Amino acid sequence: MNPGAGRPPARPAPKKYNSPVMSTLIDALVSVVGEQACLRRPEELLVYECDGLTLHTGTPGVVVFPSCADHVVAIVKACREHGASFVPRGAGTGLSGGAVANEGSVVIECSRMNRILHVSPEDRCAVVEPGVINADISRAVVGHGLFYAPDPSSQFACTIGGNIAENAGGPHTLKYGTTTNHVLALDLVLPDGELVTLGSDTGWSAGYDLVGAVVGSEGTLGVVTKASVRLEEIPESVETLLVIFPDVVTACRTVGCIIGDGLVPAALEIVDKRTIAAVEASVYAAGLPTDAGAVLIVELDGPRHSLPPQVERVREIAGANGATRVAVARDDAERQRFWRARKGAFGAMGRLAPDLYVHDAVVPRSRLPEVLEKICAIGDRYGLKLSNVFHAGDGNLHPNISFDRRDSDELARVMAAGSEILETCVEAGGVISGEHGIGSEKRDFMSLLFSEGDLDAMRRLRASFDPDCVCNPGKIFPSTRFCVEANPKARGYDRVPLDA
Amino acid sequence: MIPAELRSKLAAAVGVDAISEHAPRRLDGVDIDVTLRPSDGESLARSLMSLGAVGLSAVVLGGGNRVGVGNLPDREDLVWLSTERLSGVSEFDPDDGVCQVHAGTTLAQVRERVLPGGWELPLDASGAGATVGGVLAAAAVGPRALGFGRPRDLVLGLQVVLASGERTRCGGRVVKNVTGYDLNKLYTGSFGTLCVIESAWLRLRPRPEEIRVVEALDPELPGLAERCMAAARRFSVRAAVLVAASGATRLVLELAGDAASVARDAAWLEAQVGARPAAPDAVERAAAFASPETGGLRFRIDALPTRFADTWEALCSSSDRVVAYPGLGLLYAELSVESGDEDELHAVFQRAARVAGRAGGGFLCESAPAWAKRGRDVFGAGEANRRLARSLKQRFDPGGVLSPGRFAGCV
Repeated sequence: MNPGAGRPPARPAPKKYNSPVMSTLIDALVSVVGEQACLRRPEELLVYECDGLTLHTGTPGVVVFPSCADHVVAIVKACREHGASFVPRGAGTGLSGGAVANEGSVVIECSRMNRILHVSPEDRCAVVEPGVINADISRAVVGHGLFYAPDPSSQFACTIGGNIAENAGGPHTLKYGTTTNHVLALDLVLPDGELVTLGSDTGWSAGYDLVGAVVGSEGTLGVVTKASVRLEEIPESVETLLVIFPDVVTACRTVGCIIGDGLVPAALEIVDKRTIAAVEASVYAAGLPTDAGAVLIVELDGPRHSLPPQVERVREIAGANGATRVAVARDDAERQRFWRARKGAFGAMGRLAPDLYVHDAVVPRSRLPEVLEKICAIGDRYGLKLSNVFHAGDGNLHPNISFDRRDSDELARVMAAGSEILETCVEAGGVISGEHGIGSEKRDFMSLLFSEGDLDAMRRLRASFDPDCVCNPGKIFPSTRFCVEANPKARGYDRVPLDA
Repeated sequence: MIPAELRSKLAAAVGVDAISEHAPRRLDGVDIDVTLRPSDGESLARSLMSLGAVGLSAVVLGGGNRVGVGNLPDREDLVWLSTERLSGVSEFDPDDGVCQVHAGTTLAQVRERVLPGGWELPLDASGAGATVGGVLAAAAVGPRALGFGRPRDLVLGLQVVLASGERTRCGGRVVKNVTGYDLNKLYTGSFGTLCVIESAWLRLRPRPEEIRVVEALDPELPGLAERCMAAARRFSVRAAVLVAASGATRLVLELAGDAASVARDAAWLEAQVGARPAAPDAVERAAAFASPETGGLRFRIDALPTRFADTWEALCSSSDRVVAYPGLGLLYAELSVESGDEDELHAVFQRAARVAGRAGGGFLCESAPAWAKRGRDVFGAGEANRRLARSLKQRFDPGGVLSPGRFAGCV
């Protein structure tokens, strides 16, 4: 008889740290959050070695789960006392390596700070903790006829804290704006442990726009512990159109014509031929014609009486640009089906290859057709499976490369093609990220867009909040020069001997 | 006033074309009689570098409508730095609905350029000759911000010159961008204390199919503020101004959008508040009550929607002139104080702080004589975040070249 039968396997012992610094830091963190909220076994840390961009990894020294702002303050102070850098993290759905630890950093995982603290329907405002899931805000306020507008594809998993760090967008930001347009006030634990309130629930405040500076700063200026977010009124009516095109370039031209015509759709999304094939072969199948070159989803919203003329105008524009079919969703079920083709695209890509690299860049809308042709040519030249599903109304491209990381040659081609894609977008007057952020992924591409002087201005902002470069180091800025050259003290923070 | 020796040094550094001496123009009790007028970005950079080298400070001057907003300067050896020669729309892309504009370009010039292309400039600040640079630096809003959004939401990219004379840029020309820190937000509304804006990429809005202005004179008082809030939330209402002056009340609304929505909302407004057609410039005339150039002691209070009605009533009970933008939550009130009466002045500031506190927001004393600013922070900023503000100022303008002491927190 096996005496161990029926019992769960014994958990490995917590990692032993020979470094006295790390051991005492762990003790300090445990005293703040408790043993159960302080992960440090290798198999536990493995879960936190990457975010949604699995190509970039870094194993944290420890992962702590604060439950309140006081915990965060104490954690940050403990890190400072022990010379450790720290990384705020939400759901880990980011796509630029922004929430990945430098080897040995402390990850401050905010998912347990997940309460919606207050909703004021008349003030069009909700106060939430950073671990609240994006979609849960809209669920909580739908009864008041309100919703929270930024809707990244991961909105059923990603958290508001992460959205704030990355200034998350989504399909409907074309009309409603990104996260930065919807955050009124923040409670932020600064990198020295001070808790400050930035902004106000009215949206107006004296002094520098520090809320605007913090949103999109990728967790490098502090740890958000509370946010007041602006809510929008649910539009009276919505019309969703699915427009079929013979090719993706024609679909792009149509987008330009719709914008140029003065229409302001809530969303303009394009799905290309290869993506359609993947979606239709998957559980997300939406009944799209697999011989189509591209589909364009157009969503219009507003007062009921104002939409029929807009629908007709879109029909006319699409027809004039060579659309082969225009379907208008007859009910909510059909609308959801249309959107399944878009929102299920990334999941469906899993059928094409074991790995997926989701790129993110923006070009002027009027340059979309030519840039897209160049991107497809780059993919072909490198012999890659490249597909496109993107926020066409914003000019926000998402070239997706399906590949197998075990094939080192293919991986090298993926990276080379990615570089060329970014260069192509910048040459067209674009930028290297529209909603995923720079993180560790694109930090060395920043110089494509910005001069050393431009970056130095950003460093001044960074240094105003975090002069010692301890809060999410190694992100945004090219190489490690910022921390080491501008802040010699930071050397120690980046090199805490965790495993010695 | 600046010693002759420093004037000479400055003139030699920036070039005689870029500097002029003139009759003093007063700012908060300081007579300024030297103006730098750089003609391009390089010249602007040279101006700032020279100021730093000579040891002088500057106050940036756009249209001049909001240059009086701010605390007393820390120094008296000031020069004006005018953006008037940095003028013109350098690029307008009607396909994308974006344009790049030099800082000294007036809003009127930009409108004239983009309107024929089917676009309108969504900046709406009062005052003749208001410039793009000035409006962005002050984050100035007019009542149309209800439909347009705030300046911070419209800036896509900025080319700026730092106090050191370094020309840098942030953002870009595309409508969605998370590439690096959003310095656009930091610079917009910084009142020229961190950098001087050289040019800006702006997002435009499609020109609406129809614009209509309506007004209600002396609308019935019970529930007035609440009904104004409801009116401001109608789909096509993009500006709402509520004015109380000399015992009369007036609500002016501008509707814009598709013809059917405008007609529907106009009918609703007539039924609910008795709004009738008004002159096309009725919004400007009503909002002019709120412009800071009319002098006196004027406060801006920001209020939560749920506190708007109470705030309106509180201000109306203590001021002869109150102008409010329902929907935006902004209220402006003029309060008179006997010149030199410190006790009364103290009481007025205390009252403003109290009203703002109850409103769930803050206050800004937009207009006040110099004596009334002494020892006060007109931005109503407390100690909170002063450390961060000082840290930013120290890193962006360590020499105090740009409007030292004039911003919130006296930085």
